[in-house]
Amino acid sequence: MRILVVDDDALNRFLLVHMLEQQGYVDCYEAENGFEALTLAKRIKPDLVLLDIVMPVMDGYEVAPLLKALAGDVYLPIIFISAIEDEEALARCLEVGGDDFVTKPFDKIILAAKIRAHARTRSLSKKTIEQNQQLSFYRNSVEREHKIVEHIFANALKVQPELRDIIDFVMQPAGSFNGDMFLCHTSPSGGFYFLFGDFTGHGLAAAIGALPVAKAFQTMSNKGLSISEMTETLNATLLELLPDEMFFAAILVEINSSGKQIDVWNGGMPDMILQNEGGHIVKKFSSKHMALGILEPNEFECEIDRFDAQYGDRLIGFSDGVVEVCDLAGKMLTDAGIESWLLADPQSDVHTLLNKIDVYEGGSERKDDITLVIYTCQELKPFSHVQLASQLPFKIELCLDHHLIKAQDPIAELIRLLTSQLGLYGIHSALFTVISELYNNAIDHGVLDLDSKLKATNEGFFQYFATRQEKLDNLASGTVNILVQYLPQDNVLVIQISDSGKGFDPASLKKTCEHDDSFGRGLPMLSELCQSIEHSNGGSTVKVVFKI
Amino acid sequence: MSLEKEFSTDGKQLTIFIEEKFDFSKVQDFRIAYNDQTKKFTSVVINLQKTEYMDSSALGMLLNMHRSLSDQVTSFKIVKCRPQVLKILQIARFDKKFEIL
Repeated sequence: MRILVVDDDALNRFLLVHMLEQQGYVDCYEAENGFEALTLAKRIKPDLVLLDIVMPVMDGYEVAPLLKALAGDVYLPIIFISAIEDEEALARCLEVGGDDFVTKPFDKIILAAKIRAHARTRSLSKKTIEQNQQLSFYRNSVEREHKIVEHIFANALKVQPELRDIIDFVMQPAGSFNGDMFLCHTSPSGGFYFLFGDFTGHGLAAAIGALPVAKAFQTMSNKGLSISEMTETLNATLLELLPDEMFFAAILVEINSSGKQIDVWNGGMPDMILQNEGGHIVKKFSSKHMALGILEPNEFECEIDRFDAQYGDRLIGFSDGVVEVCDLAGKMLTDAGIESWLLADPQSDVHTLLNKIDVYEGGSERKDDITLVIYTCQELKPFSHVQLASQLPFKIELCLDHHLIKAQDPIAELIRLLTSQLGLYGIHSALFTVISELYNNAIDHGVLDLDSKLKATNEGFFQYFATRQEKLDNLASGTVNILVQYLPQDNVLVIQISDSGKGFDPASLKKTCEHDDSFGRGLPMLSELCQSIEHSNGGSTVKVVFKI
Repeated sequence: MSLEKEFSTDGKQLTIFIEEKFDFSKVQDFRIAYNDQTKKFTSVVINLQKTEYMDSSALGMLLNMHRSLSDQVTSFKIVKCRPQVLKILQIARFDKKFEIL
């Protein structure tokens, strides 16, 4: 406790300092007038000032407010000590910023008690300021962190520009972070996907689950996966990540390249409505599943709804927050309320609906995040695909001997290698059909020397596969070579497969699929999927060019 | 592993759910799935929602099923196929034998 004693009378100063030392206050400084006190105070930063009124150069009334200003926000107690006893003068002490006064000759006990009391107030004031500083430090760092997180969210949840014109959506979080989310992404097969949903709760805690969902959704969209597979993956991911009490109600939609075939998986969200141009509600996609992140993978159901809509039909989706919007009387809007709006004004877009929500609320506080999505069925222009396919030409050659042929199916692995390593998502299905066709022909008719005609009857069909397995199990020799060349300039894969069989006459092959036989479908199908097919080597080598 | 299937409540419709890969390795499983004598179903639905990969023997299997059930079943449907798979079914003109939805 540092005390500054200001008095022009040396004897007075001596008496005061002596008294203070007796009380245990040994850190005392002296000044002869106000000006000196001010200069000293700047240097020593006193905790309390004992101040005389009448002094030369600068008196107590003048210096008191200056000392107070110097102390800033922290409370600096100033106790006037004076021989003046008239009430007006004493009142003035307090008016100029003094906190107390003692008249001379001072009572030691009273003065000591006052010093202690003011010291307590000062330490409280110091504490408050310290806490304020801490508080604003934390507030700033939280703000800074929020900014970073907002930035990450903005990037993760970015909508592809080519989809912005196609799908109309609006989101309004109740807090600074959104527990609702909306994502959309093009599919390599010409259509697109969208996903919207609602994490339990709102704010940052709810929003945090959005990141893994966004990342997985994007990756799976690029691969052109089915929404049922997507939901399985998202469910498994969220089950692992989220605490038990948190889950994600969501709707996943895939619109195929026609722009009007709609696949929907709805888990725990309000009905999504399909409204035709006449305003009639033609279909409701109701929730058929539990939300994501609840069920174990073996209990999870990924059954989807498929519907063929007409151009001009509008698919309208909204989150829980919309249904549960309350008016001033606390009455909820409900599904029926939204439906009546849509029926009354079939052309309303998301912003019209949002305005209606605002009017309905009438200024009452919103409790949950709000999301509205509308897709109008339309012919989709081809999306400009930023394919990140490799630009390096390369070759893969597989030489399979009879051991490797017997061991399980090399084709799935080859397809995975080609499509995932090269960024050639979206062609995996067609490529599988082509390569597995070529490979199975090489095995069945080359290495194993089986005749397809066996498949002409029902029993023969199964006989064929039984014989195939039997021959395969007993296979003692034979090879199949697969050569895949990737030519990025021509954007093709050249696939060549040779087998150790005795070959066949390519002229004998059926050229069309226009028959009911359960065999002989392979080559006509290949010629539709590939640019060219060429047999050589007496039929035991086949080369196809597959356009990517 | 056997294929997942279910009957409608009246037992008239059999739905078979095909997995990610529909190729010759499913020959037996697929036959077992549709050769169910417990119910007299008259409609078969093949759900291809999960199927990404299909080869020509799968087409053969579908046609073979069609042939062996045609006395008993009047409606054959293939539903919820992926765009890529749909393309293969279209190339193979499967719409002549199956209702593709």
